Amino acid sequence: MFDKKVVLFALFALIVIVAACAPAPTATPVPTVAPKPTEASKPTVAPTAAAAKPTDAPKPTEAPKPTTAPTVATGLVPATKGGYPNKALEIVAPAGAGGGWDTLARTVQRSLETEKLYPQPTTVVNKVGGGGGVGLAYIFTKKADDYELVVYSPPLIINTLNKTFENDYKELTPLAKLITDYQVILVKADSPYKTMGDLMAALKKDPGAVKFAGASSPGSMDHLAIAKLAKNAGIDPGKMSYIAFNDVGSGLTALLGGNVGFMSTGVGEAIPQVEAKTVRALGVSSAERRGGVMKDVPTWKESGWNVTYEVWRGIFGAPGMSADAKAWWGETLKRMSATKTWKDSLDKLQWVDAYADGDSFAKFLDEEFQSYKVLMTDTGFIK
Amino acid sequence: MNFFDNLALGFGVAVTPMNLVLAFIGVFLGTIIGVLPGIGPMTGIALLIPITFGLEPTSAIILMAGIYYGAMYGGSTTSILVNAPGESSSVVTCFDGYQMAKKGRAGPALAAAAIGSFIAGTFATLVLMLVGPAVAAFALNFGPPEYFSLMFAGLTVVTSLAGRSLVKALLSTTIGLAIATIGIDLQSGVPRYTFRNPELLDGLEFLVVAIGLFALSEVIVNLCNMNQAVQERLEIKGGLWMSKEDWKRSIPAFTRGTLSGFFVGGIAGAGAAVASFVSYGLEKKMCKYKDELGQGAIEGVAAPEAANNAAAGGAMIHLLCLGIPGSGTTAIMLGALLMIGLQPGPLLFVQNPQFVWGLIASMYIGNVMLLVLNLPLVGMWVKILDIPLYLLMVFIILFSFLGVYTMNNSVQDLFLMVGFGVIGYFLRRLDIPAAPIILGMVLGDLMEQAMRQSLMISDGSLAIFVTRPISLFLLLLAVISITNPYWKYIGIGWRKLFGRSAAA
Repeated sequence: MFDKKVVLFALFALIVIVAACAPAPTATPVPTVAPKPTEASKPTVAPTAAAAKPTDAPKPTEAPKPTTAPTVATGLVPATKGGYPNKALEIVAPAGAGGGWDTLARTVQRSLETEKLYPQPTTVVNKVGGGGGVGLAYIFTKKADDYELVVYSPPLIINTLNKTFENDYKELTPLAKLITDYQVILVKADSPYKTMGDLMAALKKDPGAVKFAGASSPGSMDHLAIAKLAKNAGIDPGKMSYIAFNDVGSGLTALLGGNVGFMSTGVGEAIPQVEAKTVRALGVSSAERRGGVMKDVPTWKESGWNVTYEVWRGIFGAPGMSADAKAWWGETLKRMSATKTWKDSLDKLQWVDAYADGDSFAKFLDEEFQSYKVLMTDTGFIK
Repeated sequence: MNFFDNLALGFGVAVTPMNLVLAFIGVFLGTIIGVLPGIGPMTGIALLIPITFGLEPTSAIILMAGIYYGAMYGGSTTSILVNAPGESSSVVTCFDGYQMAKKGRAGPALAAAAIGSFIAGTFATLVLMLVGPAVAAFALNFGPPEYFSLMFAGLTVVTSLAGRSLVKALLSTTIGLAIATIGIDLQSGVPRYTFRNPELLDGLEFLVVAIGLFALSEVIVNLCNMNQAVQERLEIKGGLWMSKEDWKRSIPAFTRGTLSGFFVGGIAGAGAAVASFVSYGLEKKMCKYKDELGQGAIEGVAAPEAANNAAAGGAMIHLLCLGIPGSGTTAIMLGALLMIGLQPGPLLFVQNPQFVWGLIASMYIGNVMLLVLNLPLVGMWVKILDIPLYLLMVFIILFSFLGVYTMNNSVQDLFLMVGFGVIGYFLRRLDIPAAPIILGMVLGDLMEQAMRQSLMISDGSLAIFVTRPISLFLLLLAVISITNPYWKYIGIGWRKLFGRSAAA
């Protein structure tokens, strides 16, 4: 009999351990406390370590109570009339752990915490699925909740236009555009196409002759960027041959194995291969040349096609966010984008700072919406 | 620098107290993550990334690699004990592992899983060390057509999962293939069978279906036999440790599982789940006791567990030598490496030798640690089976719900799991095997995409599958695999024919 109890207890303990080590992606509110000044030297280790290392980190219940934090943070946080913020914050990552949206959400969370910009606990919750649609549906259940943020990028607009999303993103409250990435055209190192000119000439002769790979289904970013370029060059995007792969890795394998002629992908994903010289980058979609490894790569503009393509990422409040909260976040995110934690993270992740405040972001989104509408209509992705 | 200098350099880096502790934390967490259904190594590593910011790059990757391997070890535990796979790659382990547990042989099954994982992990590390770049270069020959042919060959495994009726197995495979079509179609961007439900756009999660079909349906079956089940328990018979006979039967299975898993999952990049299925199929064809497979043969645990670990090791070759992630988990690791300022790829060996060799050394150490950690745990795990069945069933329900919910924080997944639990029960009553559904799901999506990618590359010509040598070879393998049970009849027919013509 005793044995049985021991075993049952062990099982129970196991489940407790699980509950303690799993919660960061879930909604379980682990009180992620603003680090004390003494911990500032190793800021990134503190909050999430508690969640992930059951062996040596304090259990969530033993963590210092969040109520101690505001005293530390006084004077750093802009005050509002309504006493905002006085509750825990939830940032929605509309995709699984490890992806671009998730990384952005967690980087924002870490910056807010490390720089003591948010005086209450913060959590990131992953709402996975539907190209971001599940996350959007979720945030629409939180209307007028001032403590819900969500991060998005161009698929927000693309998936609205192609009617994948059920909710109208325009009801969200744009708070800030934060970062941006660009598209790049890659060919294998021994490809006959040495320049953008070579490639475009070949495509002009026969649009279907050079197959190209991307890491998402037709009519999404990797494809649309090239479609935009092709249209400008007078090539019919509908006649081009786009092959969709599950992820950047399998697309690159197909490129390096000589199965496709070129690949369209984000600069961030391309850098390792460009540096190793296994691939050649022909052109990048930014308005000006990029630095570092990409400094010798001409822009599409320089090569003679007046096209840019931007993969922006920004942060939004829930639909119907109060004016107070909106103003508070406008101020706070601006401060955050100037902090060392944020800038260091950007460097490490090879993201480009593209901070713009809520109003300009909203205006930018309207322009993006119009330009995608035209592009997707012309290329036949919407009727 | 020669090979031994490199290795010495590696051990010098890995055997610092800090790195040893990190390797241990990694494998320990990994084991827990593996045991729990739902939280996979991918999520585990993604959550740890913020911690790695404060670490040396080498220490960070040692921690992450530990989790990756630990999860591969731990995944088998619940497959064997409660028929609920902890990871997609240990679904196959359920087939014979749970049957062994039912016969009171959970101990040897768990031991075989741990030892198989150890052997395969060590083998993969050795290959990475000795000929990593060459293997990586060969891997680039696998384009969409080769991928399709590989999946096609994998599908012939269904004959091994058939049980009594091949027709029923084929029926079940088609259900799996149909389920695989749910979600946004990659090649056209069109949603299929989603009924405007956003959560269905990404398709059905493989573990949701597997846990429903295997674990929950087991609970329902027991519920229907309540009167007998109430006081019953799965007694432990025989030793906890593998007997001489077990060893004799396992060693060839380890070897076959390691090699096939390394090829399919590692080099070709088909992933650990496919690798484990293929190795199971191979056992069904090649092992001496093939008739016992499916009823609790130790080979059915030894081979797939070796295969999934060999595949995980192979994926590391892709990551380190090509800078291309060969699996979802290594994709996350790639992201983490970039974040800590390292560029994986061909240059890594040259630019950061202390990093690469430190990692390799820690992979050896991690594998040893895992073995040491897991073998004593066998004694603890089998105690779970000492719980009366009616309590164990409650535990399985709890475990399944917890795991499935944690995966995507989705309540809909729970409903789906229960639905598949009920379906699984009726399949059992109809004597239709559930395993081919999973096989169909694993292969269906990849196979369809690979076929359509190939046809786009060839402008619609099917010839692409037979004009490329590797693809042709794999297709021939598939044909052999399907037809070999019938060869003896050809022989008999030939002799009869000859006999007659000679007499006439």
